[in-house]
Amino acid sequence: MAKKIGSEALGRFYKEGSKVRTRREWRGVKDTAYDFSRWLVIMGTLGKFIIKPRNMKAMLRYRWMANYLAVPMMVDRHTQGLRGEYLRMCHAEQDLIIDDVAKLLDKLFKGDRRIGNDEEFSKKVVLVDENEMTAVMMGFPMLEALSRETPSTYVPVLLNQHSMEYYMDIAEEFGLAPDVCPMPEAEAGVSINDDAPVLGACAIQCNTTCDGSLLGNGVISKRLELEDGIPVFQLAAPLRHREDDVQEYAAQEIRNAIAFIEKHTGAKWDWDAYFECAKRVNLATRCRQEWLDMNKTDYPQVFGSNLALYTETNYMAICGRVPAFAKVDRKLTKLAEQAYKKKKMMAKEYRHRAIIWGVQSHYYFDFLLWLVNCWGIAPLTDMLSMVSTKEIAEVDTPENREQAYYDMAWLTENMIMRNRTHGGYKVLLDELWDFVEEFNADMVILWEHMSCKALDGMHGMFEDRAREKGVNLVWVEHDLFDPRIISRQGVRDQINNYMRTVMREEPLDPSLEVLPDDQSW
Amino acid sequence: MKKKCNCCKLPWWSKLLIATTGIFGLLFTVYFFNLDMKLTAMMEPWLLKWYDHVDRDKHL
Ligand code: SF4
Repeated sequence: MAKKIGSEALGRFYKEGSKVRTRREWRGVKDTAYDFSRWLVIMGTLGKFIIKPRNMKAMLRYRWMANYLAVPMMVDRHTQGLRGEYLRMCHAEQDLIIDDVAKLLDKLFKGDRRIGNDEEFSKKVVLVDENEMTAVMMGFPMLEALSRETPSTYVPVLLNQHSMEYYMDIAEEFGLAPDVCPMPEAEAGVSINDDAPVLGACAIQCNTTCDGSLLGNGVISKRLELEDGIPVFQLAAPLRHREDDVQEYAAQEIRNAIAFIEKHTGAKWDWDAYFECAKRVNLATRCRQEWLDMNKTDYPQVFGSNLALYTETNYMAICGRVPAFAKVDRKLTKLAEQAYKKKKMMAKEYRHRAIIWGVQSHYYFDFLLWLVNCWGIAPLTDMLSMVSTKEIAEVDTPENREQAYYDMAWLTENMIMRNRTHGGYKVLLDELWDFVEEFNADMVILWEHMSCKALDGMHGMFEDRAREKGVNLVWVEHDLFDPRIISRQGVRDQINNYMRTVMREEPLDPSLEVLPDDQSW
Repeated sequence: MKKKCNCCKLPWWSKLLIATTGIFGLLFTVYFFNLDMKLTAMMEPWLLKWYDHVDRDKHL
């Protein structure tokens, strides 16, 4: 009966050499009808977007826009095998993210000098980095904080694993070293290829996440400032973010960034709007904390890609500025509580409880769901979801207005990824083993992103600690945006080999062990 | 005199029902057999070729 979890062999939907799968999953009448209704909503969102002539013009101008043809498939990948509450949680998040990205694209093209060229609108736009907390925009409700890198590089890799190969090759053609992290490399490639929309009164770049991203920012800001005449502020958040002695400097950087935005847009910082956003940031923190607490029990609920993709978007890109996300926070919590009470499980069996650590492969984001479906490994949490759990000041008082600069600085310093890849071995190494104990995990799956110096240097120390603690440590190598270096199957093989040779186990769903998805989106 | 066909004699609500069922059946077929993705997958190579001909100011 397809209604039952794990009743269909999920690997049989893949076809050698095909970009797409043969058909969608039958999940029983109720869940299939639900999934169908959400597919209709997604098609409506996409239809509404592309029907506008200026968006169509943009589709024909920017190469990375072709990847948006794969939006429904991204949702299918993240809902594989899901039923009941888990399917609903995934749709609640993904549908909102799709809507949010569609609005972001629509605004970018409205102001873009090559497409909509709406000058009045463009004057209200502040460009922000992809990997940047948008905390400094919490008090500017009259302005638009838009990221060009999110829709041109970050989202396309989630949609189509091969999407950034072209841009990485362009960057290398222009002399960038091929062992640079593919993320800043691809962002630089988009700028070099003249494929970034041009708009905005000013831009804020941040030294997130590392020297790799500083390199990319350098290439992008040169074009922005010297050719497009868009002034850029470099927000340099301290990397030793846990040290008290850097916090005053970090708060001053925030004051400077706000003053820069005021100067170039003529807008005035609005404390009411800021504290409204702060309330939503705290709500998101409390909800995430509740999900993580549930994940410490035998019945984890919001975990795997349901946790990872949403946290990245909500924590960093949204940062309390969009009320719709607060609604989804509550909805997810309600669904999770409901499933928890009924002791529901995402797969028919959880054989291992795993913490996923390191920077995950973006061309294989649904790997977390594959772990559950194929091997019964529950990915309880991942490094990029273990962000700040500190609540920030949310009541408007004179003291809290001063505290707010420190809070925004704290959030900026604790952006996803950099809060673990930088800040010393305590945040990257020590705390991992604290989480292993807290979550009662018996396995650590460590992504080894081969171009990330931040993590590679600690390889031996991770192994020593795992041996000391008697925890199964599985290394999974990848190259972040580049499946030509290690394919999706190459990623899966590393787990398959470990599970068969070290754990001597058989998969829950053998059809998923080897998939012909090299050509797939 | 022209004869009316049987379906023209049907009451409005049954015509609506037939149309709705037809649209539903069509959309569900597209959804279930992944025809939407199969179509867009065919469009991608055409689009990629198109982008190669767009004028760009490509430099560092
Ligand atoms: S993955 Fe590593 S190298 Fe790449 S941007 Fe993040 S910290 Fe930098």
